[in-house]
Amino acid sequence: MPEVAAKLDQIVAEFAELEPRERLELLLDFANNLPPLPARLQAERDAGLHRVHECQTPVFIWVELVGGLVQIHADVAPEAPTVKGFVGILVDVFSGATPEAILQSPSDLLHRLQLSESLGMVRTRGLGGVLHFIRRQVSRVSTANPSGQQ
Amino acid sequence: MTTYAHPEVLVSTPWVAEHWNDPKIRIVESDEDVLLYNTGHISGAVKIDWHTDLQDQLVRDYIDRQRFEELCRSKGIANDTTVIFYGDKNNWWAAYAFWVFKLFGHDQCLLMDGGRKRWELDGREWSREPEPTYPRTEYAAMEPDLSIRAFRDEVLKHSEAGKPLVDVRSPGEFSGEMLHMPDYPQEGALRGGHIPGAVSIPWSKATNDDGTFKSARELENLYCRENGLTRRARTIAYCRIGERSSHTWFALKYLLGFKHVKNYDGSWTEWGNLVGAPIERSVRPAEATALEIAAEARAAGRGEPVVTGSVGSEGDGPHHLHLSTHEGSADPYTPYSPAPGAK
Repeated sequence: MPEVAAKLDQIVAEFAELEPRERLELLLDFANNLPPLPARLQAERDAGLHRVHECQTPVFIWVELVGGLVQIHADVAPEAPTVKGFVGILVDVFSGATPEAILQSPSDLLHRLQLSESLGMVRTRGLGGVLHFIRRQVSRVSTANPSGQQ
Repeated sequence: MTTYAHPEVLVSTPWVAEHWNDPKIRIVESDEDVLLYNTGHISGAVKIDWHTDLQDQLVRDYIDRQRFEELCRSKGIANDTTVIFYGDKNNWWAAYAFWVFKLFGHDQCLLMDGGRKRWELDGREWSREPEPTYPRTEYAAMEPDLSIRAFRDEVLKHSEAGKPLVDVRSPGEFSGEMLHMPDYPQEGALRGGHIPGAVSIPWSKATNDDGTFKSARELENLYCRENGLTRRARTIAYCRIGERSSHTWFALKYLLGFKHVKNYDGSWTEWGNLVGAPIERSVRPAEATALEIAAEARAAGRGEPVVTGSVGSEGDGPHHLHLSTHEGSADPYTPYSPAPGAK
């Protein structure tokens, strides 16, 4: 299992090589690669549960602990591809990691991805809310169920 | 009044579907989400981003005249091109881009009624081709037309004189219960409330469920009969950063024919942080606020929101307490004949 930090560094390096416009295209790739929400969670989404209230458009995130490792499922409205792309990065990097690795990872990810120039401050702030939401949930599930036994 | 004052500035989705390839027309998509265009757009449309294309990245302001000219040249827009704007969120950002084009004196600006939402509901095609490039044009812009843009000092004088101000944010933002739209991120205002004397008419009341504007008669009832605005009075609209108020500015100026209406684009992010600026608050009936927040969220196409915190949970019956910080105002500030029952 690659460490969160190493995976992050790799993605940050990928973004750093690109022009601002190309960074958005890469973000769109991550949006398109976000796995669909498992059927078992769709009813909870429809009921408005697990919503990230800090973010602009409807974003729903589930953080689960399976065998001590974090699994993240997410659903983002198709009319918000920017948010979906950022969530796609987080799901890609954090899924399968230990809670400790996620909580110790840098919280200035958006800054490191150099996306602020293309997105602007208002949008960047909304995305920051998604990252904080995931970290809070990771902290919550690991405290509630430290061994990760289901 | 049964028809719009300037019906020619609003075009329907079928009209755009027929005319998209007209060489005299340039279609511009302007969205809140910077990537939405890339996921599918009207064939032939170019993309203008409100943040990276229209705003200066160092000064908090719009780009200057020279950069606006360069933007138009690069998008193949000439002075005699008819520019049709459309976008997401019921055309908030499309109206904002429309307003910026008017600021620099572009003559022929049109808005596609209903924006992306109506196009989608029509089941029309989205093109996934890269943004098209058009031959460069010569473009000469005017100096900014300040008859449609209000600055903070002017807004203060306007407020002190009791002239009409329209706050188009959600009821919770107007009352000062929240500093941002329901479900939207905190955007850095240190004080909640509204500019003294402003009347609350959320932008969403001007649109139907499909994102199109309501009829002339319905708009007349909303703005003039129910809220006491008049076409001749100098009127200023504001919201949070000027996008929702561009939408209302459009409705007042072009659909109802208001003679002197300005958009205060500094809006609440400026006013709520301005040292010494007077602020007025009013606490609305909790139940009514929660219902209106839900209606606002539905109208913005964001589904049913979950109302959290104290809003709607303190059911101790209606109360109409005014907490005014407006200096010397012992009574609720009522600048100009609001309709009976209007708060």
